[in-house]
Amino acid sequence: MTVFDRPLSRRRLLSGAAALAGGGLLLGCTPGAGDSASDLSYWHLMSGGDGIVMAGLVDAVNAMNAGFRAEQTVLAWGPPYYTKLAMASAGGRAPDLAVMHASRIAGYAPGGLLEPWDVDLLAEVGVRESDFPPLVWQKGVYDGKLYSIALDTHPFVLYYNTQHAEKAGVTDAIQAMNSPEAFVEVAAKLQRVTGKHGLSYGYLGDGSQMWRLFYTLYRQTGAEMKLVPGSPAQVDEAAAVKVLGFVRSLLNDTIATRSGDGGTATSEFLHGESGLFFGGVWELPVLKESKLPFDARPIPTLFGQQAAYADSHTFVLPRQSTVSPERRRHTYQLVAELLKRSVTWAGAGHIPAYQPVVTSTEYQQLKPQSHYVGIPAYVNYDPDVWFSGAGSDFHKYFAENVQNVYLGSGDPAAGFDGFVQRLNKLLDRPQPV
Amino acid sequence: MPTAVDSPATAGLVVAGGNRMGAARARRDESLTGWAFAAPFALLFVLFLVVPAVYGLYLSFTGETLTGANGKLIGLANYSEALQDPDMWRSLGNTLWFTLLSTVPLVLLSLAFALLVNLGLPGRWLWRLSFFLPYLLASTVVVLFWSWMYNPKLGLINGVLAELGIAPVAWLQDPNVAMISVVVTTLWWTIGFNFLLYLAALQNIPEQQFEAAAIDGAGKWRQLFSIVVPQLAPTTALILTLQVLASLKVFDQIYMLTNGGPAGSTRSIVQYIYEAGFTGYRFGYSSAISYLFFAIIVLVSIAQYKLINRRSAP
Amino acid sequence: MSTYTLSRGIQRAGRTAYKQGHKPGENPWSLSRMVALLVLAFLAATWLVPFAWAVLTSLKSEADAGASTLSLSPPDGFGFDAYRKVLSAGELPLWAWNSLLTSAAITLVTVATSALAGYAFSRVAFRGRRWLYGAIIAAIIIPPQLLIVPLFRQMLAFDLVDTYWGIILPQAFAPAMVLILKRFFDQIPVELEDAARVDGAHRLRVFWSIVLPLSRPILAAVAIFVFIGAWNNFLWPFIVTTDADLMTLPVGLQTVKSAYGLQYAQNMASAILAALPLVVVFLFFQRQIIKGIATTGFGGQ
Repeated sequence: MTVFDRPLSRRRLLSGAAALAGGGLLLGCTPGAGDSASDLSYWHLMSGGDGIVMAGLVDAVNAMNAGFRAEQTVLAWGPPYYTKLAMASAGGRAPDLAVMHASRIAGYAPGGLLEPWDVDLLAEVGVRESDFPPLVWQKGVYDGKLYSIALDTHPFVLYYNTQHAEKAGVTDAIQAMNSPEAFVEVAAKLQRVTGKHGLSYGYLGDGSQMWRLFYTLYRQTGAEMKLVPGSPAQVDEAAAVKVLGFVRSLLNDTIATRSGDGGTATSEFLHGESGLFFGGVWELPVLKESKLPFDARPIPTLFGQQAAYADSHTFVLPRQSTVSPERRRHTYQLVAELLKRSVTWAGAGHIPAYQPVVTSTEYQQLKPQSHYVGIPAYVNYDPDVWFSGAGSDFHKYFAENVQNVYLGSGDPAAGFDGFVQRLNKLLDRPQPV
Repeated sequence: MPTAVDSPATAGLVVAGGNRMGAARARRDESLTGWAFAAPFALLFVLFLVVPAVYGLYLSFTGETLTGANGKLIGLANYSEALQDPDMWRSLGNTLWFTLLSTVPLVLLSLAFALLVNLGLPGRWLWRLSFFLPYLLASTVVVLFWSWMYNPKLGLINGVLAELGIAPVAWLQDPNVAMISVVVTTLWWTIGFNFLLYLAALQNIPEQQFEAAAIDGAGKWRQLFSIVVPQLAPTTALILTLQVLASLKVFDQIYMLTNGGPAGSTRSIVQYIYEAGFTGYRFGYSSAISYLFFAIIVLVSIAQYKLINRRSAP
Repeated sequence: MSTYTLSRGIQRAGRTAYKQGHKPGENPWSLSRMVALLVLAFLAATWLVPFAWAVLTSLKSEADAGASTLSLSPPDGFGFDAYRKVLSAGELPLWAWNSLLTSAAITLVTVATSALAGYAFSRVAFRGRRWLYGAIIAAIIIPPQLLIVPLFRQMLAFDLVDTYWGIILPQAFAPAMVLILKRFFDQIPVELEDAARVDGAHRLRVFWSIVLPLSRPILAAVAIFVFIGAWNNFLWPFIVTTDADLMTLPVGLQTVKSAYGLQYAQNMASAILAALPLVVVFLFFQRQIIKGIATTGFGGQ
């Protein structure tokens, strides 16, 4: 809940109190279909700072009085969100609009849990393919139909402490790094300045963090990872071993600590105990709040080809048992309005997907957001398969097999093999959705 | 398992006339009354325990998934898959390992604490409060406290170790240590309950026994082993039973502290059931694992029942 | 040992526990007792450390809490900033309310239905009694955790997912409590009821005006036990609610924990605030709660 929807919760409190007093039946209202064509139910998983920005966007759209009101339901982010969304679609109690990570579409579109978007109707409300980076738009297409529209791209980037960089004389080198050796050299120089570590990278116990860095560098080698149910995973083991070896060499307790989890890494960088920091763009608000002298850039190309790992928040239409054309049209309008206002979304670090917003001067003046605005041109999402994506077990399986490699106790080839075997087992199974 | 209802004779019915018709009617009224009393409970019991238990059993023979797809009967396929699933065995092994690691100190230490507090030293309420307080906390609060204690770089434990010149330990991230950390947290959290049961039992040992033993010249330790421990046998049996069953069902603190990691080294069977169903979307398979685990619980219960009955036989 | 006499025993013990110091004929300041006292003090301190560390962290500024040095005198000093932030986010009070509402409802329904059923098993010879009783005993060993999948499907069918009832109903019965209460009612001398029955009072009347007043301590014990369990339950509310407005404290805290990466002071402040209600209640009703736990704990025999 955010401060913006107080009345709703107050009503709920009262109904709760009345029920407790009278022992009556209290029906905590079920999120799901609204009660008229003008009330749209909208589920999303933005909490914290993101949640406040999103609530502001929804309020702004509602204030237009365009003949509809969006009622947002904020759900907890994590595996349960996707489970419940699927359940709601399966049970025909789905909301009119929902937010989903782009990386999860592959798991949902084939099961008939989502309705495709009508491209003509989208064009009518001012949303066209030409308004989006090609790779980002393509990610929403499945079987020739468009199932999701991206609100943003949120990549994994490199933050650096500008003050330390100046002291270490690596300000230009940070922009020019193009090989593993160059990166290590910069990190080592920064380490000498901070006296603690050169780089912060929080990965312990967090498979997603391990995967984000690995996949960025793996794709930089030009290697692919193709997962097709029914056949074994197609991977490039040599490339994987090379990358794992490199990551492991960074975690030597000098360049970066071996025992860094998410919170530790962020706080280390915040306290100036390191000069470089691998993190998602979503870390930006915390860093900005701290008055730290820092900047950000895409993760440098160390293995030959430009590549970045990212995911996107996207809009999807969960399947409903009955659809009124009027409600649908309102839903399209809501999405268009949210996209057109998404420059505020950039405040949370994300790169808006809607290009008219990105090319605006307002966005171009944002620092450091504009320094990584080029990423969507060479972005990589998780491999397209039903069990991958944000909050899925895919990242967890990666952690289970690779954490020991990062820690320095496991063998890179054996760790990666274990992961691939795990994938093959899943590829053997029928798709559950 | 006692199934006979061993209540005292039902209240003598005062049946006017006492003819057979009246008696029959009285019996019928009695039955109606009984069911009326038991009905609210029975309704909840059937709706939220019997029905899901039976429905779950049915699900375990289907390939049912989240969307209701593949809901056909597939015989024992789920069970045979589960029995060949290394992750299932691993989770089961973790669960049994956790049960062993947690039950032993939770019984022995709680007894030691209770004996210490029962010495009648000053500050009694304070000791009782300290040991019992954690039991009142929700699992999430416990996990918040302990994740912070265990934090590899900022945590109190590694901080103290650093002061002593000892290298930091990745308490929750090192596969060799994570389970121990989970057990320590569990010990801190739940020992208060067993401690209270022991304390109550200790206070019920008649004073005269100690006096008699003291007159016979038995020392403190002799008294402990010849009077206290035997007297506490029923309590120990009870605590052991409750503890083993509680440990087998562990989920909350492991899920939140380590999410079953690192490398699956702490994943409990309940977490595996949760994952199979709610993140793997395979309801049928998840139910099958539930029932395999239930079979184990039944076996453990029967074994315990037999053990306790043999021990307490005169 | 029966529950009834046991609870009386505990009452007695509770009464004497405060008066009874050392055993007669013993030197209260002997060396061994001093050692025992030191050991106890050390253990109790160990047990309180996580609380103390959490409180200390919650009073620091966010920057100090995230600093990698152990300091008892942080540069920014101590303050209630973290508490202010947590409370102004407005979620904690709402979750606490949800917890209170659902736990109270669960306790009420559980105690009422268990008492009625326990009385029927104890006093009324109805057809099918043995059979139902056997089923209840068998059910005690079924861990509710194993039923999450079918139960969730069921709640979906009843349209109770993301509602208060969805949280309450599946938790609102406890087979073990029926047994405990039945055993207690068995101990009550039947003559007390017979007199009233001869006067033609209906069973419900007898139950209400004679049996219940005699059972207050055990009912309180069961209620306390059930309430603590419901207040702290995590798995089921976690599965059945996704709507942040309906979450109970343990579930809400878990989601917040995953939502903000780096707010150690605020995390600890939330944890302390969430722990506070039960801790305060415990401080006030220490004796009753301890008695209640001990009594109900023994009921499983």
